[in-house]
Amino acid sequence: MPEASNDRAAVEQPLTDAGVESARTLSQPVLSARNLTKRYGEVVAVAGLTFALEPGTITGFLGPNGAGKTTTLRLLLGLAQPTAGDALVFGRRYHELENPMHRVGAVLDSGDFDPGRSGRNHLRMLALAGDIPFDRAEELLELVELQAAADRHVRTYSLGMRQRLGLASALLGDPELLLLDEPANGLDPAGVHWLRGFLRQFAETGRTVLVSSHVLAEVAQTVDAVVIVNRGRLAATVELAGLGGAARSLEDLYLELTTTEAA
Amino acid sequence: MIAQLRSELLKQRTTRTNVFLLLWMVGLVVLVVLLHVLSFGVEDLSRADNQLKIAGLGTSLAALFASMLGAMSITGEFRHGTIRPTFLANPRRERVIAAKVTASALAGLAVGLIAEALTAGVEAAGLAARGIDIELGGGDYARLLAGGALGAALFAAIGVGVGAIVRNQVTAVVGLCVWLLFLEPLLLGDVPAAAKFGPGASAGAIAGAIQTQIADDLVAPALGVLLLAVYAALASAAGSIATTRRDVS
Repeated sequence: MPEASNDRAAVEQPLTDAGVESARTLSQPVLSARNLTKRYGEVVAVAGLTFALEPGTITGFLGPNGAGKTTTLRLLLGLAQPTAGDALVFGRRYHELENPMHRVGAVLDSGDFDPGRSGRNHLRMLALAGDIPFDRAEELLELVELQAAADRHVRTYSLGMRQRLGLASALLGDPELLLLDEPANGLDPAGVHWLRGFLRQFAETGRTVLVSSHVLAEVAQTVDAVVIVNRGRLAATVELAGLGGAARSLEDLYLELTTTEAA
Repeated sequence: MIAQLRSELLKQRTTRTNVFLLLWMVGLVVLVVLLHVLSFGVEDLSRADNQLKIAGLGTSLAALFASMLGAMSITGEFRHGTIRPTFLANPRRERVIAAKVTASALAGLAVGLIAEALTAGVEAAGLAARGIDIELGGGDYARLLAGGALGAALFAAIGVGVGAIVRNQVTAVVGLCVWLLFLEPLLLGDVPAAAKFGPGASAGAIAGAIQTQIADDLVAPALGVLLLAVYAALASAAGSIATTRRDVS
């Protein structure tokens, strides 16, 4: 498998062990993957992935379908066990966190609802598990503008409404870190605009966001940096300031790094 | 643990799954008990042991529906993907399973009480309509109610364990139906000496009767409680281990 070449050091900084070390001495990374590997039989979904997130940043997590983005998120969230390496949040494995809902919020899939349960009850069942008052669920229904639909079954919700309910679930514990898998999927332009503003505000309070996406133009407008993965490996980490925030040059870089067959 | 239990109890109440299960059970109890009371001859129906056997139909249906309720409390989460937010909220999976076992057992108690009360009521009404005296006493009914409820509670725990191991909703429900409706009754008929130690027969031993068996042919009630508790503990433990060790896709 060809590796991404390293001659674009000006815009990309492939994370070396030294890079990880210095990041750790400055401040504990909010999230880190170290040599993270996940094998499913013969298939290697994630192959020695290493990267870390600093507090107060929004990072895009990019890569083609099957690059290992969703698997990496599941490993970080403790839903799956790594074959080798570490997936850590706040320096620990997810299941070692004392009150995970208050540290980490995640939206993995817009389908993680029982279609026969109301939006309000979906939030309440999670609130109970995290010892969070029902008032907080009402606050979030208001924030994501689902109060009017709160007592309807989720099966009647549009994709965009499900995304917003997923976001509300992730925010129940007022977490310091948000992991979002394709959150703009199914949102209308106003919804995307709202989400972008929300994530900005979230990060400005010193909290951290990792958002996987394949809509590059959307990512370029929202994130501070991108982590690009391809075939389970790190292809590059890029500070968008180095690209001047231009969607066009991010697309060029992304295509260059991920269309290895043509290289 | 208390927080997770409250969450599981809310889950039980906030979809229609359990309401549908309960309605199915009520319909089946009425149908099956009436069929028995209306189709057999007056002479057969006048005998106490036959009246008890008919009452035992409720034990069987309560065990079946309680185990399905328990199984669906976890297979439903795998089916709809809610297992992911559930495990994100509480990554200590053994505690989630323990909470599901407890919540389902509580619901199973209610299922057992409803099934046995309905069975007794429909049977009494049917017999009265045919002018047949009821030979069962207060002791029989008390045992049916208490034993049926306890048996159903333990069967709900067995269902959670089976559901956690199998994960697939249809497979789990069909498996429980096949065991309780076909295999175990078949074994009880063919090899009663061994089959009386089975889970369904143990529930019958507690309640006083199950399907075509009355307690005289089963193990002692105390042994029935012990056996069924052991089955429930084994199934829950196996389900907990299977859930903790395997990835969630």
